[in-house]
Amino acid sequence: MKIAVAGKGGSGKTTVSGTVARELARAGHSVLALDADTNPMLGISLGIGPEETYRMLAVRQGNDAMPEHEHTVEGMIDAFGTDAPDGVRLVIALREAHVDPG
Amino acid sequence: MAAKAPYPQFWRTVGMRPARRRPGVVADVDWPPGERPLRLVVVGKGGAGKSVIAGTMARLLARRGRRVLALDTDTMPGLAVSHGISAPATPPLVHAVDKADKGCWRLKRGVGPVRAVQRFSTVAPDGVRVLEVGDHPAIDAKSVTPSVQAFYQVIHGLPEARALQSWTMIGDHPAGPRQTVHDWAPYADTLLIVVEPTWKSALTARRLVEVARQREATMIVVANKVRAASDVDSLQQMVGETVAATVPADEAVAACDRLGTALIDHSPESPAVRAIDDLVEGLVRGTLAGVRTR
Repeated sequence: MKIAVAGKGGSGKTTVSGTVARELARAGHSVLALDADTNPMLGISLGIGPEETYRMLAVRQGNDAMPEHEHTVEGMIDAFGTDAPDGVRLVIALREAHVDPG
Repeated sequence: MAAKAPYPQFWRTVGMRPARRRPGVVADVDWPPGERPLRLVVVGKGGAGKSVIAGTMARLLARRGRRVLALDTDTMPGLAVSHGISAPATPPLVHAVDKADKGCWRLKRGVGPVRAVQRFSTVAPDGVRVLEVGDHPAIDAKSVTPSVQAFYQVIHGLPEARALQSWTMIGDHPAGPRQTVHDWAPYADTLLIVVEPTWKSALTARRLVEVARQREATMIVVANKVRAASDVDSLQQMVGETVAATVPADEAVAACDRLGTALIDHSPESPAVRAIDDLVEGLVRGTLAGVRTR
């Protein structure tokens, strides 16, 4: 199944997403958690810890001598992802490159 | 803050030119002590309390006799409620622009920042003028793009608008660092970073501290929803910056959020309003400790 979580800031999107991902993984599903927020904080709710969450953000910003682009989905999951508890794979999906507000 | 392109094709992508940067008109004037107009933008993670703090500060400053322009850059309605505007309407900023080529919108001839504020801002209680970027309409309605582009061009004219030089300006950015990175507050010399005692909020603040450094803006970290002195200590650890002001956790804020009313109207004597007034006092007097001037 493919689930998107949306809502206003502070309403609990990230907490719900992280918990649903962990529960599904515990129920035996293979789970890919995509953080498509320009301020990606899903790592916290998945349980990888604040410093790893902050490091992932730097990775996606291209600050850590990481590749700017990956051409395959597998490559992106590998390059811009990290392993979270219960076997969830977290991938940071967006970087700041748009000018619209919101 | 200087207008610099966040990425190489930026100005071409948005179909605009960077604002000319002459010395700011605010800087040209020798303001008497305590009368220098404040130019702020309130930033932080979603739910940290940006709109409540920005809206309450605007109202308090207006009550102190300042002329206040509040700039709501969020396409999700929020700030209007915190100002006490009962029925926030999508503002007609769309009428300020003409279609230019390649899907871009330009301000109509004769519409500069001053006229845009006169014609298209909403008057909130205490005489606060609120200029809104416009709300994202329902899925089947028209695009918000013309209004957004008009707003962007207006705010880039504000730093040099002489008729507004004595005005205090307070902006409210949507959650996260995105707009702040992309120069959506060219009028602001100070970033007010609102942070609540959670890691998500603190990591967002950490990114915004980096933005403030890059922009050479003054930064003020405001700890919101504080329940104990230890909250401030741990926030300073998490963010890596000094907290300059604190606003206590206050049931009145949650109550007015449920009702959709402005905090200052709902609970004018609440601890949160008193703390925000202290912050305003510190900003006006220039006596706030822990402010990082660049």
